[in-house]
Amino acid sequence: MYQEKAKILWNNQAGNEYYRIGLTCHKGYSGAKPGQFIMLHFPGRMAPFLPRPFSIHRIIKTGGRTAGIELLYKVVGKGTKMLSGHCKGDVVNILGPLGNGFIFSNHYKRIFIVAGGIGVAPMLFLASYLKTKGTNSSECMVFLGGRSKDDLLCSDDFLRMGMKIHITTDDGSAGDQCFVTHPLETALERDRPDIIYACGPLEMLKCVAGISEKHTVPCQVSIETVMACGMGACLGCAVERKEASGNYMHVCFDGPVFDVRCLEL
Amino acid sequence: MFRDGLGTDKSRLGIKLYGFIDMNKKKSHMRVNIGGITLKNPVLTASGTFGYASEFEKLIDLNRLGGIIVKGLSLEASRGNPPPRIVETPCGMLNAIGLENVGLEAFVKEKLPFLKMIDAPVFVNIYGKSIADYADLASRLEDIEEIAGIEVNISCPNVTCGGMAFGAYSESAAQVVRAVRKSTTRPMMVKLSPNVTDITEIARSVEGEGADSISLINTITGMAIDIETRRPKLANITGGLSGPAIRPVALRMVWQVAQVVNVPVIGVGGIMTAEDALEFLIAGAVAVQVGTANFINPHATIDIIEGIEAFLEERNIVDLSDIIGTLNV
Ligand SMILES: Cc1cc2nc3c(=O)[nH]c(=O)nc-3n(C[C@H](O)[C@H](O)[C@H](O)COP(=O)(O)OP(=O)(O)OC[C@H]3O[C@@H](n4cnc5c(N)ncnc54)[C@H](O)[C@@H]3O)c2cc1C
Ligand SMILES: Cc1cc2nc3c(=O)[nH]c(=O)nc-3n(C[C@H](O)[C@H](O)[C@H](O)COP(=O)(O)O)c2cc1C
Ligand code: FES
Repeated sequence: MYQEKAKILWNNQAGNEYYRIGLTCHKGYSGAKPGQFIMLHFPGRMAPFLPRPFSIHRIIKTGGRTAGIELLYKVVGKGTKMLSGHCKGDVVNILGPLGNGFIFSNHYKRIFIVAGGIGVAPMLFLASYLKTKGTNSSECMVFLGGRSKDDLLCSDDFLRMGMKIHITTDDGSAGDQCFVTHPLETALERDRPDIIYACGPLEMLKCVAGISEKHTVPCQVSIETVMACGMGACLGCAVERKEASGNYMHVCFDGPVFDVRCLEL
Repeated sequence: MFRDGLGTDKSRLGIKLYGFIDMNKKKSHMRVNIGGITLKNPVLTASGTFGYASEFEKLIDLNRLGGIIVKGLSLEASRGNPPPRIVETPCGMLNAIGLENVGLEAFVKEKLPFLKMIDAPVFVNIYGKSIADYADLASRLEDIEEIAGIEVNISCPNVTCGGMAFGAYSESAAQVVRAVRKSTTRPMMVKLSPNVTDITEIARSVEGEGADSISLINTITGMAIDIETRRPKLANITGGLSGPAIRPVALRMVWQVAQVVNVPVIGVGGIMTAEDALEFLIAGAVAVQVGTANFINPHATIDIIEGIEAFLEERNIVDLSDIIGTLNV
């Protein structure tokens, strides 16, 4: 875990409300796991008051060395709006890598990745990580959903990695007009995956959880809550366990990736 | 002694006249005493904002802290409130964590071994649902040597008495402190709630019951509403406001209390920088606690310690005590 001032390497628009931002970081990020995140704050700013969590989208390498991290973010409010106004060379405070990433096991051969909207952010990192683990890309299937075609990101990146991809949009402007969980269930019934990895809106995750339960396919989901510290100090990021008894779990240090069977979504 | 290339002794030449930095300056004394415990500097961590310290191990040198106050502890583990538990507000945040904690047994087994290794006094912040709970917890902590003292959080609802906070009235505040005092000989800091009419009255009554020091303020009760859904932003409806938004209120209360009690006062509330901490010290606080700032800058405590030291040294103030309670009015 490193607290540092990060220099912005680039901050490029990647669609209507989406941006990719490159940040310098400690070389220790070479050990970061997909699903891990950072807390980002603007130096000396009282508004927004709290740092904001963002998943690691990509590790930036130059000559094989870790030179930075890339985030993919959507402008939804004051913090992300302010971030979108930052330029190359500006400095932000970052803390990370935080939380627990997706868990990979060598017996996962056939892998489904489900991403809704900005939920794709950690999934590109996951896909490239799976490649380094020797996963056969043609055994990986990506289900990418968005409200419209403007909300579909990274499809080319997944294709370039040799992964199969299913696209759905709510308005039919690209791919099939349905929820991303439709092709997921169809594909799953045809050929069972060993694991489903999912990130996206809560409604989507609930549906994915239902499918995973119905077909008893293991599933890991990355979830979001509001956060103050991102590192276990405030206990603000509580989520309910499946058996709504016992203590709460905490997204920043028990997650943000959870085995879906543990969670009450 | 500092010598330049010519071998002249700069301090004897009175270099200050020439605008150089006096490298011969003594390090200022940062030590303070809070009710029987000497701290190497006046900066403590505020309860509930620093976990059990291990969370910060990789980010700061914990041995440099003046003191550590851990998350509020109860006899039994407590689940805390349902989410959402926090919401950002202008220059601050509301929290309704609901005092989630691991309980005494797990604290001793799982958290204390790490805390023991830190070269800084550790205070256990305690709370209970009844006066008996407070007393019971204090007596069980009595024999744990590694704990420097306890901080009694009296801002909790009195379950057996209509749910008003113990700290809301001087009688109930006094009852808690009296019971805890009977159960422990250890240094006892009592943490006041700001949600009262006259804070000096409460301060005097807890001092009268044997508090060794008084810390203030806890969070100020507040709320926030989502105007689209017309629902409260916190599941608990109300929560405690913290951060710079409450600093002027905290400062005023610290100043008032410092004038009426003889025990050391520890200032808490919205301290983000050394300048903020110095305001509290000048107002009469002997030490300060840093809370919400840890979320924004996990290095805040160390930055504040260094900032206070630099402030003193730049002004040739040899001892921190030379500024405590020196408000010019
Ligand atoms: C572990 C984790 C990883 C994340 N990764 C990414 C990422 O890679 N890319 C990305 O664009 N976003 C990500 N998010 C969400 C991101 O943190 C929020 O979008 C951001 O905090 C909003 O800040 P804001 O100031 O722009 O919005 P605000 O002005 O604070 O709020 C605007 C709207 O966004 C909602 N919102 C605020 N905070 C969050 C939050 N933490 N999660 C969900 N909704 C929120 C509010 O309810 C409100 O409706 C992640 C969140 C978590 C917890
Ligand atoms: C998330 C959170 C949890 C807290 N938990 C406790 C607690 O367990 N016991 C306690 O006495 N005070 C608790 N507090 C209050 C702080 O210790 C402190 O008194 C208050 O936040 C004001 O200081 P600040 O503005 O520097 O944060 C908590 C505050 C926050 C923000
Ligand atoms: S965000 Fe603070 S504990 Fe999780």
